[in-house]
Amino acid sequence: MSSTLRLVLVIGSVLFFAFIINMVRTKKLELKYALIWIITSLSFVVMSVFPQTVFFISKILDVEVPANALFLCIIFLLLLMVFALTVAVSRQAGRIKRLVQEVGLLKADTEGKNKAPEK
Amino acid sequence: MKTLVIIPAYNERENLPKLFEALKETNGNFDVIVINDCSKDDTEAVCKSYGIKVITLPVNLGIGGAVQTGYLYAVYHNYDIAIQIDGDGQHDPKFIPYLIKRIEEGNHLCIGSRFIENEGFQSSKIRRIGIKYFSKLIKLLTGTLITDPTSGYRACNRKVISIFANDYPKDYPEPETVVTVLRNKLKVSEMPVIMNAREGGTSSITNLKGIYYMIKVTLAIMIASISKKSVVKDYE
Repeated sequence: MSSTLRLVLVIGSVLFFAFIINMVRTKKLELKYALIWIITSLSFVVMSVFPQTVFFISKILDVEVPANALFLCIIFLLLLMVFALTVAVSRQAGRIKRLVQEVGLLKADTEGKNKAPEK
Repeated sequence: MKTLVIIPAYNERENLPKLFEALKETNGNFDVIVINDCSKDDTEAVCKSYGIKVITLPVNLGIGGAVQTGYLYAVYHNYDIAIQIDGDGQHDPKFIPYLIKRIEEGNHLCIGSRFIENEGFQSSKIRRIGIKYFSKLIKLLTGTLITDPTSGYRACNRKVISIFANDYPKDYPEPETVVTVLRNKLKVSEMPVIMNAREGGTSSITNLKGIYYMIKVTLAIMIASISKKSVVKDYE
């Protein structure tokens, strides 16, 4: 691996990690959902600083080309994340539906009761 | 028995006045509620001008979410029977008293079916094939013959109101919910009704959506037939 590429990867992964941390710090990301991103970006940092880890993983998984082992891990991780998001969206869709229904019912119930008396 | 007629409506200002007149003519003993699914036209004002109670949803939920709001209302206001009728003028309210009678006789769910006496508007050929297919599928999975599983003209009792208020699919709900009720070993019957072709507005199912509809509902029916039994909570 060329030293330029390595430098770019290290800088990129560190920036990514800093960006995620900043998002959590400024409360734009909920920690619950950010956790997986923090772990992911940290592992990017580790992999770019110590590329040996990728070779090590590929050896364990018995994959000839280390890049393929990396792809395998990342795709697996992405699938997991997308699935977790689908679950979260489904749950929220159900909750929003019930909220909308209750608001509609409440509005109909309180109709005329909340208005200021007419002069 | 305390009866509620639920009318889901989305942009139905053209059709509602006629429906309200027809409802009045039945002289039936029931309350009417319109669920206005965030219509873009003045559906809400039309209902109010006829003195009909209307619930306007702040966000468009789709037919399933709107109808379910009606069932929630039935739970909160302790109704014994709920009747669902489309706001687009396809369903003639004169059958409501007969539907009520069917529920009073002990049926849990009674569906108004076009295909028992094959009178009135029979829908297009392609739709009839689709409906026949759902009917066969439901018969295969539950052992009960439902001739018109897509009918949105139906009546149900407290048990089914409680199930529907708790769990109702978002879109294309009818066939799936019939299976849910059958799955809970409740009594479902059908009654012949005459439906009209729609006069104003457009159907929610266009040709483009047809294929998606078939696949989605097929899956939904299959899943409903292996789902856990619903929790039935009585309310007061």
